[in-house]
Amino acid sequence: MSEFLKKIFLVEIAQGMALTMKVWISALFDPFKKTNKTIVTRRYPKVPRYSEAGFRGLHALAKDESGKMKCVGCGMCAAMCPSQCIHIHTAEGPDFKKVVTSYRIEVLRCVYCALCVEACPYGAIVLTEHFEYSNYHREDFDYDMPRLLENWDKYMAGDKGRNYFEKFWLPKARMFSRTERAS
Amino acid sequence: MEIAGAFDTFLNILGILIKMAVVIAIVMLHVAYATWFERKIIAHMQIRLGPMEVGWHGLLQPIADGVKLLFKEDIIPAKADRYVFMIAPLICFFAAMSSVVVVPFFGSFTLGPFEVSGVLANINIGILFILAMSSLGAYGVIMAGWASNSKYAFLGGLRSSAQVISYEIAMGLSLVGVMMLSGSMNLTTIVEAQAATGYKWYVVPQFIAFAVFCVSALAETNRTPFDLPEAESELVAGYFTEYSGFRFALFFLAEYLGMIIMASFGTICFLGGWQPVPGLGWLLPSGVWWFLVKVYALFFMYVWVRTTLPRYRYDQLMALGWKFLIPLALFNIFATGMWKVLFP
Repeated sequence: MSEFLKKIFLVEIAQGMALTMKVWISALFDPFKKTNKTIVTRRYPKVPRYSEAGFRGLHALAKDESGKMKCVGCGMCAAMCPSQCIHIHTAEGPDFKKVVTSYRIEVLRCVYCALCVEACPYGAIVLTEHFEYSNYHREDFDYDMPRLLENWDKYMAGDKGRNYFEKFWLPKARMFSRTERAS
Repeated sequence: MEIAGAFDTFLNILGILIKMAVVIAIVMLHVAYATWFERKIIAHMQIRLGPMEVGWHGLLQPIADGVKLLFKEDIIPAKADRYVFMIAPLICFFAAMSSVVVVPFFGSFTLGPFEVSGVLANINIGILFILAMSSLGAYGVIMAGWASNSKYAFLGGLRSSAQVISYEIAMGLSLVGVMMLSGSMNLTTIVEAQAATGYKWYVVPQFIAFAVFCVSALAETNRTPFDLPEAESELVAGYFTEYSGFRFALFFLAEYLGMIIMASFGTICFLGGWQPVPGLGWLLPSGVWWFLVKVYALFFMYVWVRTTLPRYRYDQLMALGWKFLIPLALFNIFATGMWKVLFP
């Protein structure tokens, strides 16, 4: 009988209507407030979003304190890269030292696994927290050495870059240098 | 004498033209902002923001949408029935638009030497006219479904024809009670008859009829939970799947116009038209503002129901119409008749 009465007086529909009305009332003035309580929409390009610390975003080639590129061109990162998007070319420099002539990352092919960061014995490549790098042409996502170094200055300048490995990675670079000193 | 008569006729025609222009402008503005109103309310009920970018809180969004639709390409499918395809949205739109003619927005007032009445055509069969026009709109829908030469559009058109025919009956029967109480089919007379009663609104004695009317109004205007003709999840967009550009806009306008007309119709027949809400007469005298408040309230109901309820299944729709609403409306007519006989 109660089932029948529920059907006749549309109890379930009334409950649903009450729910939507409750949500509506609580959301009604949210668009006028600075912080929204009920509404979940984010007005992304207008209200910028920040990535979490240690977010794996756009690549950068690390510089040491003196501003020199840390990369020595060993090619570990390129060997480790599962999507094979790192291309390194080296040549012999004037004082018989290995010189990196080109270091190219096809960012569109990258899967952001950060295996290159793990592989690098010198802590020379990092994934910055920058993630808004949309562009108009495919070629613009082909980051070459100057642009990757520029990324370091842009997104990893100062303490951020200094503490990056300490904070987010088991500092393999340090371990590597320690064993080198021991031998 | 002759000249004076001709001048009077001229003034009459001029007055009618001005009134038409004003009514069309205001109604079209309402239709445009009905979309904004609906999108906002639905968004808030679904804890979203809704249109926010064009103008302050998206207030210019309807205008942006209209401009966009105007400049879009008008595509007519190669295998469509060209002329029927082109006429269908016009039928829909004009059927909806001509219903506005008989809707009284307010009582009459005198402006200098002229008497301005709140209705464009004060005809004695207003109820019948609105019902006729709303079923004429179904022809546009069916023609669009047929002419598109697309199975989605065709299914949408078929569903619409079945739905409109079934719910037209329930709606017409629900209004019989109102006609019996007021003794007239003239919408202005109905409002005045309501004001003369003790309970002020016909919804008080005719609450069953009002419930039937609300449900069948939802079905008539193809709104959720009865939006089977344009069920997005099943039929892409239903009968106007193949339409684009301004022809699509005409269907869209017709739909929202239909909603506004059904809301005004309900207001006039059950909620006392432009008369103030009982007990709130001290706030404002009777006038178009009260009419608008009630229309907005009914329109809000439409949107509210749309946010809350999922779509009915087709057999449920038919069962509800034929097995529940029509008997209920018939019972209401019987009860009203008994009331009239027993307590004359």
